[in-house]
Amino acid sequence: MKVSTSLRLSALAATSSLALTGCISSGSAGGDGGDGEDAPIKIGISLPLTGDFSEPGKGVQRGYEAWADHVNENGGLLGRQVELTILDDQSNADRVAADYEKLINQDGVDLVFGPFSTRLVVPAAQVAQDYGFLFVEPAGAAEEVFTQGFDNLFYAAPAVADDHYDHLADAIEALPEDERPKTAAYAAMDDPFAMGTAYGLKTRLEEMGVKTVVDEVYPPNTTDFGSIAAKIADSDADVVVGGTQYQDAVNLIVALRQLDYQPEMAAFSTAPTNPEFPEAIGTETEGILSPTGYTPEAPYESNQEFVDYYTETHGTPPAEDEANAWTTGQVVAAAVEAVGCADPDAECQQQLIDWLRENEVETVVGPLTWDEAGRPQGAHLIQQYVDGKIRIVLPEDAAEADLILDKPEW
Amino acid sequence: MSLLLQSLVLGVLLGGLYALLAAGLTLYFGVMRVVMIAHSAFLILAAYLAWFFTRTTGLDPMISLLLTVPLFFGIGVVMQRLLISRLRPATLTMMSVLLTFSIALTIEGLLGFAFTGTQRRIRLPYGGANFEILGANVAVVKLIAFLLAAVSLGALFLLLKKTQFGQALRATIQHPEAARLVGINTDRVAGYGFGLGLATAAIGGTALALDSTIYPSLHWHWIGPLMAIIVVGGLGSIPGAAIAAMVLGLGQSLLQIPLGTTWAQTFFYIALFATLMLRPQGFFGGRLAQRF
Repeated sequence: MKVSTSLRLSALAATSSLALTGCISSGSAGGDGGDGEDAPIKIGISLPLTGDFSEPGKGVQRGYEAWADHVNENGGLLGRQVELTILDDQSNADRVAADYEKLINQDGVDLVFGPFSTRLVVPAAQVAQDYGFLFVEPAGAAEEVFTQGFDNLFYAAPAVADDHYDHLADAIEALPEDERPKTAAYAAMDDPFAMGTAYGLKTRLEEMGVKTVVDEVYPPNTTDFGSIAAKIADSDADVVVGGTQYQDAVNLIVALRQLDYQPEMAAFSTAPTNPEFPEAIGTETEGILSPTGYTPEAPYESNQEFVDYYTETHGTPPAEDEANAWTTGQVVAAAVEAVGCADPDAECQQQLIDWLRENEVETVVGPLTWDEAGRPQGAHLIQQYVDGKIRIVLPEDAAEADLILDKPEW
Repeated sequence: MSLLLQSLVLGVLLGGLYALLAAGLTLYFGVMRVVMIAHSAFLILAAYLAWFFTRTTGLDPMISLLLTVPLFFGIGVVMQRLLISRLRPATLTMMSVLLTFSIALTIEGLLGFAFTGTQRRIRLPYGGANFEILGANVAVVKLIAFLLAAVSLGALFLLLKKTQFGQALRATIQHPEAARLVGINTDRVAGYGFGLGLATAAIGGTALALDSTIYPSLHWHWIGPLMAIIVVGGLGSIPGAAIAAMVLGLGQSLLQIPLGTTWAQTFFYIALFATLMLRPQGFFGGRLAQRF
């Protein structure tokens, strides 16, 4: 399983240069039989290691690999070592389906873990469903993941996209009516996850009577945010909500600053929790809000173990992508240990699925349970930049700092 | 009203940037019928070099131009002499697509290898600075990018029109055989022309890096619009590309108001289709496309 990083990277570079079908396999491909008691448990994964989602994709890869190393160092799963086979789907929805076909059919993996991003999770889950495989995924939070009729899918995070801002919406609702914001502007990437987060908050705010003055959706390949920022600045909305990934949030924030737009509240999904964000924005991050499914400070028991192990092996604490990947590992491992099997057999996979339907799993993001469609039943923590550091501000019982309601100028 | 004015200002600034980014692309085509898919990859490479320069030295990214412009000129000459000139003239345009496509992929892979896929942005003290004219805000970084575009396109124009090298280059563009007959070393001129095109990529990439977040695969988002610009402007014509860039930049910015971002972006491709249907030689420029 341990292939040196440089070797893997050069293989990756070579693959992308040649645009060949990426078959980067870090484990042995199928054919060596090995269904015996002591043979390793083979886990198949396809991740966007190149292309649009390569950044979070690599984060998820680090999380999966850290989890596998940790399991193997602690006696393995059911006494067997685990072995990951990770393919690169190049952020391409057609490739991801073909990858899972290959993993299940040709490589003969025992279990599969999900890829990154809603757009890739749906086609991947379809393949897993066709073969009766349990499909736990780290990053498909949008509503459309759960409305496809999958009965094998579980999202290994605290909440679906639409519920990410629930704590913030609750906090705004708790304000006296005359102190609540009056108008709001929304800009969301045309991506089910990013739009889901912004529109989840939009629905709640509209119910409270906050008027929507701008509602912009932009394609993922948008390079110029000046025009969107001009619309938002012109509306002078009290609240600006960005349904964003990373670069779009950074570009939009800078474009808004260039137009001298000063909202009372600014919330963006994903980007602000990225360590690169303050590097890019500088000191003007103060007061920016973001929902987060994970922080290394979270007090759950297995999280301390995860943070310590990850920090020791990587030198930095894990971020959300790594944590969601680790959570996926924990969820599948809990089912495997409880049921006592890990093979591609339909009966075993069904037992794993049934067990997860009925039980609660302790993870690094807290205890998780799911509804019939695989939606986790929780909400995200809300973080805010306070005194130059990102801190949990909501809900109050987990808060590290007080929520700043009137955002300082950026 | 203020939104309209603001969008006009943004559109002009954006158009200027587009013109700078597209200038090299139309030059390659003009000089040697090369479709340079890797142009946007070189833009991103220059942007990364500017970012890396600022991160390691702490100096302003504009100073990196002193290094990247000669470097890119050299890479351009070498690339033309060693790779492009070896393609057979009969299939040059087609094969250049494949060749430069592979160069683009190589650059993207190497950028990812050297700097990882992490999305970077140069943090400038004046990144959010702006001033107001008649109620419209003008961002300092966007204005700098616009001025860079104006100066380099102006210099390119003078170079082509007023110098002997420019005459030789234009002669090579217009009629290579005739140029050779009057004693122009068209091979060398073509090499320098290619280098010149890549030098504009160094300037364009630095201008881009001032006001955007960069990552290795970003060039795919740029090559389409840039290709549309040079076709609308007439393949091979630099003034044509500049005018087309301005019209498309303004159009995109203004259409954004009633139509939203998605449809405003489609404007580029609608303009591309319209050009190919109505005036395949382009609206503003050369007659080159007729030769196909």
